[in-house]
Amino acid sequence: MIEVSLQIFRYKAGQQPHYDTFTVQVADTAYVLDALDVVWAKHDHSLTYRRACHHSACGVCALRIDGVEKLPCVTRIADVWDGHRPLRLEPLRNFPVVSDLVVDVKSFFQRMSASDLEITRDSEPTLPLSVDNLDELDVHVEQEPVEPPENLARFNRFESCIECGICMSACPTVAADDKFLGPAALAAIYYERQKTDDPREVAHLLALADGEHGVWRCHSAYECTEACPQAVDPAGKIMALRRELVANRLKKGWRR
Amino acid sequence: MENPFAQEPKATAGWLWQVITGVALVFLLGLHIIANHFIVKGGLRNFADVLAYLRNPVFLVLEALFLVVVASHAMLGIRAILMDFGLSDRVEKLLSRALTVVGVLTVGYGMWLTWAIAH
Amino acid sequence: MASLEYPKVRRATRWFDVRRRRLGMWAYALNRITGIGLVVYLYLHLVILSQLLGGAKSWDTFVSLARSPFFLTLDVVLIAGALIHGLNGLRVALMGFGIGLKVHKAFFVILMCVAVIALFVAALLIYGG
Repeated sequence: MIEVSLQIFRYKAGQQPHYDTFTVQVADTAYVLDALDVVWAKHDHSLTYRRACHHSACGVCALRIDGVEKLPCVTRIADVWDGHRPLRLEPLRNFPVVSDLVVDVKSFFQRMSASDLEITRDSEPTLPLSVDNLDELDVHVEQEPVEPPENLARFNRFESCIECGICMSACPTVAADDKFLGPAALAAIYYERQKTDDPREVAHLLALADGEHGVWRCHSAYECTEACPQAVDPAGKIMALRRELVANRLKKGWRR
Repeated sequence: MENPFAQEPKATAGWLWQVITGVALVFLLGLHIIANHFIVKGGLRNFADVLAYLRNPVFLVLEALFLVVVASHAMLGIRAILMDFGLSDRVEKLLSRALTVVGVLTVGYGMWLTWAIAH
Repeated sequence: MASLEYPKVRRATRWFDVRRRRLGMWAYALNRITGIGLVVYLYLHLVILSQLLGGAKSWDTFVSLARSPFFLTLDVVLIAGALIHGLNGLRVALMGFGIGLKVHKAFFVILMCVAVIALFVAALLIYGG
């Protein structure tokens, strides 16, 4: 067992942000998320954070550990803790903080949506239960049952990106430019472009990337690629999009 | 609900010009520094040296080209910084136009200065 | 829902904060700082060149001032800025064409070494008269 101190960013609506320090006992091999769980369970139930899969598949737990974006569910305490100074935990950058370590990721999904990626829900409707006759259970569904969309393949993204938002937090342009699509969305455009040969689709996708606040606002800081827990390499994808856009532009210029 | 990230396309040209002027500057700036500081004895041209330099048509043209290229690169660079702040579309267009004016004025002043000195 | 969001002005300066950032961010911040410095210099230079309008007297007075060690040092700083910005800029341009992506950090380090060597040579020439 080890005894580790966590210095956690705290914010509740209407209050000043501050840091609270907690000391917890966890296993030697524990992950940072495990320590957070102990803080919540044994010290402060008002601590708010996101956690789900605990194996870097869902991306919801993303936060900053000592200022660097990481997924705490796969980051061992032993790998990031120097043994004496408290480990500082803060929410992701560039998103409004809702409470403690939880940020409002609406702008992330708006960017993904603007990059032509299907987001299955605009709000949080409840889907109907999978029973034949809901009346038997006396369940009243307030809306129409959701029909599976015709082209279901559009909703499947078999890519490394787990949409955790870490790259958006690391990106210095996302910090100040509210219109910048951001590394995740631009990498997604790249992947979509690779999947199609239809010239209209390609033109449409490239036009999305070619906006004033598309690939051209990237300044090659490469912080996104460094921080990405899934090796998506968004910066490399942005450069690949640039190459194609420039090649097209030069070809057009030549013909004129 | 209108998506705030919907984009206006076709910004490739701006970046391309930044690259072209940048590469050109590696040569033109290098030439400018060498011609003005590493050929003359003592490293700095006095008034007579400057006149002699500007009276050479080859150097005059190169310096004029240098002025246009450096002003373009500078204006594009400032624009790149300003565009990072996510200002409203209207303000961005205004700034782009303002920078074009500043660039033209800069080149204009430089050209006028050259003419005024040589006459 | 009330949430905490830092004001835009503060967020706009985040590009400057290279703490806990890696080499790519350093390169970006350096390029931006040297770029701003060079733009300031450009206009300073045009103002200085206006001294030429005063004829030989005013210009040659300035030239003798420009030979002072303080001014020579400023020149060295200027050349440093130009070398850093130019060489790093070439790297960024190449990367936009897809060249050097896998080795961008090493590429940056090598170019900065070239800049240091070139700066050393320039400084020798400048101080050496």
